[in-house]
Amino acid sequence: MSKVDRRDFLKLVGAGGVGAGAGFMLAESIKHPIEHLVPYAVPPEEYSPGVATWYNSVCGMCSAGCGITVRTREGRAKKIEGNPSHPVNQGRLCALGQAGLQTLYNPDRITAPMLRSGDRGSGSFTQTTWEDGLNRVAERLEDAQRGSGDTYLLSRGVRGNLDNLLGLFMAGLGSENLLHYDFDHPHSLYAANLRTFGEELLPYYDIQNASYLLSFGADYLNDWLSPVHNSLGFGRSRQGGDHDRGRFVQVEPKMSISGAAADEWIPAQPGTEGILALGVAHQLVASGTYTGEDLAAWTSALAPYSAASVAAQTGVSSDTVTRLGNEFARATAPLAIGGGATAGHTNAVDALVAINALNYLAGTIGQAGGVIFNPQPVTGSGGHSRQASYQAMLDLADNARAGRISVLIINNTNPVFTMPGAARFAEALESVPVIVSLSTFMDETTALADIVLPSHTYLESWGDDIPQPGVGFSVAAVSQPIVAPLYNTRGTGDIVLALGRKLELTDLMPWADTEELLKFAWQQIYERDGAEAGGDFDAFWRSVLQAGVWGENVRRADMPTIDPGVVASLGVPEPVFVGSEIDYPFVLHTYLSTSMHDGRGANLPWMQELPDPITSVVYGNWIEMNPATAAEQGLKDGDLVQVTSSEGSLEIPLLVFPAIMPGVVAMPIGQGHTEYGRYANNRGANVISILASEVDPASGGLASSATRVSISPTGKRAKLVRTGGVARQLGRDIVQHTGTDAGTAGHSAKLNSIPIVVESA
Amino acid sequence: MSFIDRFVAGWRKHRKPGYYDKLDYAWSMTIDLDRCTGCGACVTACQAENNLAIVGEKDLAAGREMQWIRIERYWDGEYPNATLNFIPMLCQHCDAAPCETVCPVSATYHNQDGLNVQVYNRCIGTRSCAVYCPYEVRYFNYHDHHWDTPLEQQLNPDVSVREKGVMEKCTFCVQRIRQAKDHAKDDGGRRVQDGEVQPACVQTCPAEALVFGDRQDPNSQVSQSMSSPRAYNPLGDLNTQPSVVYLKKVGADAD
Repeated sequence: MSKVDRRDFLKLVGAGGVGAGAGFMLAESIKHPIEHLVPYAVPPEEYSPGVATWYNSVCGMCSAGCGITVRTREGRAKKIEGNPSHPVNQGRLCALGQAGLQTLYNPDRITAPMLRSGDRGSGSFTQTTWEDGLNRVAERLEDAQRGSGDTYLLSRGVRGNLDNLLGLFMAGLGSENLLHYDFDHPHSLYAANLRTFGEELLPYYDIQNASYLLSFGADYLNDWLSPVHNSLGFGRSRQGGDHDRGRFVQVEPKMSISGAAADEWIPAQPGTEGILALGVAHQLVASGTYTGEDLAAWTSALAPYSAASVAAQTGVSSDTVTRLGNEFARATAPLAIGGGATAGHTNAVDALVAINALNYLAGTIGQAGGVIFNPQPVTGSGGHSRQASYQAMLDLADNARAGRISVLIINNTNPVFTMPGAARFAEALESVPVIVSLSTFMDETTALADIVLPSHTYLESWGDDIPQPGVGFSVAAVSQPIVAPLYNTRGTGDIVLALGRKLELTDLMPWADTEELLKFAWQQIYERDGAEAGGDFDAFWRSVLQAGVWGENVRRADMPTIDPGVVASLGVPEPVFVGSEIDYPFVLHTYLSTSMHDGRGANLPWMQELPDPITSVVYGNWIEMNPATAAEQGLKDGDLVQVTSSEGSLEIPLLVFPAIMPGVVAMPIGQGHTEYGRYANNRGANVISILASEVDPASGGLASSATRVSISPTGKRAKLVRTGGVARQLGRDIVQHTGTDAGTAGHSAKLNSIPIVVESA
Repeated sequence: MSFIDRFVAGWRKHRKPGYYDKLDYAWSMTIDLDRCTGCGACVTACQAENNLAIVGEKDLAAGREMQWIRIERYWDGEYPNATLNFIPMLCQHCDAAPCETVCPVSATYHNQDGLNVQVYNRCIGTRSCAVYCPYEVRYFNYHDHHWDTPLEQQLNPDVSVREKGVMEKCTFCVQRIRQAKDHAKDDGGRRVQDGEVQPACVQTCPAEALVFGDRQDPNSQVSQSMSSPRAYNPLGDLNTQPSVVYLKKVGADAD
């Protein structure tokens, strides 16, 4: 796909100077801005007042791992842009990535180490020194080693060498309990890929070169895997690509922004998307497109999924199923992807295997515009192996309740907010004697901690990253401090290394700081190709810091193929929902908010003020309902309703939404914080709190779409702030369309392709 | 020629779109609606670059938002055939701008680069321009806004912070254009090259829907893009001669 080669990666970027690491020293003066009228009486080298300096790093706002280049002036970070050399985002960035500066300059940051002073959860802490804080943690860890309980480390998803460092630290403590926890980690996709291809890796989905994209629930433009890269691919497939205008079909119960961007939006009964995929596969095989040796096996495996039977199960008309199959079969570069709610049902892994099979039958595995497998990470970890599934988190909570956890260290993850209320996670934490939180912000989990060791934001710390799912070849990136630390905080890696020194683990972790660890680990990459280019490691390291990224434009030679056993196990069972259809008539569809992600963006004022793309709501959240259903229920837009599941209830404003299935209600994740600072607290409700504790048995992942709810009026009206005006064009023709056939290669559609309709007299 | 005649002649000359014999540049933008996903990255990028105020929930409820570029959304049809169309809306930098003719103090005028610019310290806050603007892209400061410490450390030193009583709007990131022009001048007096300057929204757009450049240069990406048969202007009947050109979305019109 990409024409970017390694030399391009290493090219300097940006209009101003590009610095390496020195931003750290440059910015020292901001600690004392008042005392110095001219901050730099003796200015550091390469600094001139009024001239911006740019530093390359890695975005830390979600797990996609986009490269960023940050503009600094006088030692302060002013603007984040995408790093044009980084193959994942190629100079582009999403709204949440743009708002990263507000994590750095957030007024609600924890400014110094703290000890709990009141009851747990009371929120009263007293400040202490790093020495005292670290000593206390080290003592507790030593006690734990001597005692009966175990030490657990629960981190946000980290990749690269920081993950390795955490692993070494836990090994030094004699504990195997290192878990990562991200609410949106695609467990079912990993499990499905393991079953289909024998590899627990995320492949690269080459949307850019796909001419026909069939997405089952994956909101790839908003939250699925690598949204900025997917958006780039979408744009290029649509217009200006090498092939005819790409066609996009989205199957989901509630229109997402990917659904809005699609050429066709198809609502299918929740949880039956995998069955629809098999129906499409059935038609594809029936049309004679697939000619593999095992054709007979596929034909018989797919026999139960005729258009008529699929139509009965999914609610999608049999004509549509047949047409999708034919379109998929005929497309030059078809691609099927699955995620979002499809990956949140109890049959998620089966459904995603069916989608993989569809790609296999269309012959797109390993092809441009298809599914391309990534090489193994060149350094550090790819981040999946330690990710805790929902089942693993339930086990953790059980261990806590049983008193088997004596120290729990939490690194920048907020399970109290992102675990369903049914898991009773906060209650389980009460049984843990010592909770240490390494966190940038006070949040619902950190509020329960005994010792808080505040960590840097990603714009102040060292780290490296192997982007997942990557772009089909080896990429690694370094994140460097852009500015001096604002407060008395430390990087997670440095905190762990300091604890290691106190616990005499220096044999395992001999490095003075994270930067030294990275330099040590990146020797590996240097030897791989930097050495042969001549020059010493320091020169190589500087060039990597300046470019922000290293890559090797070589595709994997050994593309995995489909496991021959898949065809025998093909099949998607009916999804299981918690709650009876009579008591709880609606399926609750949850999705990650564009601006808040899994809740982490809620404390950023820019994200609170960014209107939701589809509803234009700001500063709040809502539940969406079909207009006809709302009329049946006697509910109006803006009514405050009570949403009740078998696990609990919440009150939330109703929003009448034109593109949602009648039996489904949808609610965005992200709002409803109670301990996350002035911008986030007490806005809307946290939908995760009423989700049922249901897992997909095949992956152990949370079945976040498997909850049924009932909706009842409260008789009150709600305040829901929307920036958008009348959401209909009313004949003003503001958004104009041109004929459906108008997509051709080149940036523009051809005029002569607009169909001319002659009306009969 | 009496004083009044001279005044009227001068006034007419200033109001005439072709008042400048030749513009230095004619900065323009195209927005491909077939690519736009409505994600809102442009909105936040603009807020970060241009020191837009955080207005708060109360003011937003009163319709006093501050977003120089915003995503408008229009539904067509009903379930299950409902379609949703996004359109980013920003100052169109019209060559025949209604806002320029109405300002009593000439706080908004057309500059040598074809930009519709707003002079903050000349603005007296009549808000007439906002009334005249058919695109509703002018935003008024009803308060002196503040940033909770230390959020103000993020403010861009190249852009002024506006005060109460002043109208503001998209500038096509004029500070970046100025910088690029200065750079080109220092670099042997050459012209700014295509791609050398991009507003924050264009730079960040994940779907590459936005293209920016000088339409006087026939080879610039924006000129190429403007010549697309899909090009159109929303509310084109008003003949405001906008510098922002939209490219039609491909697909059936549900109207």
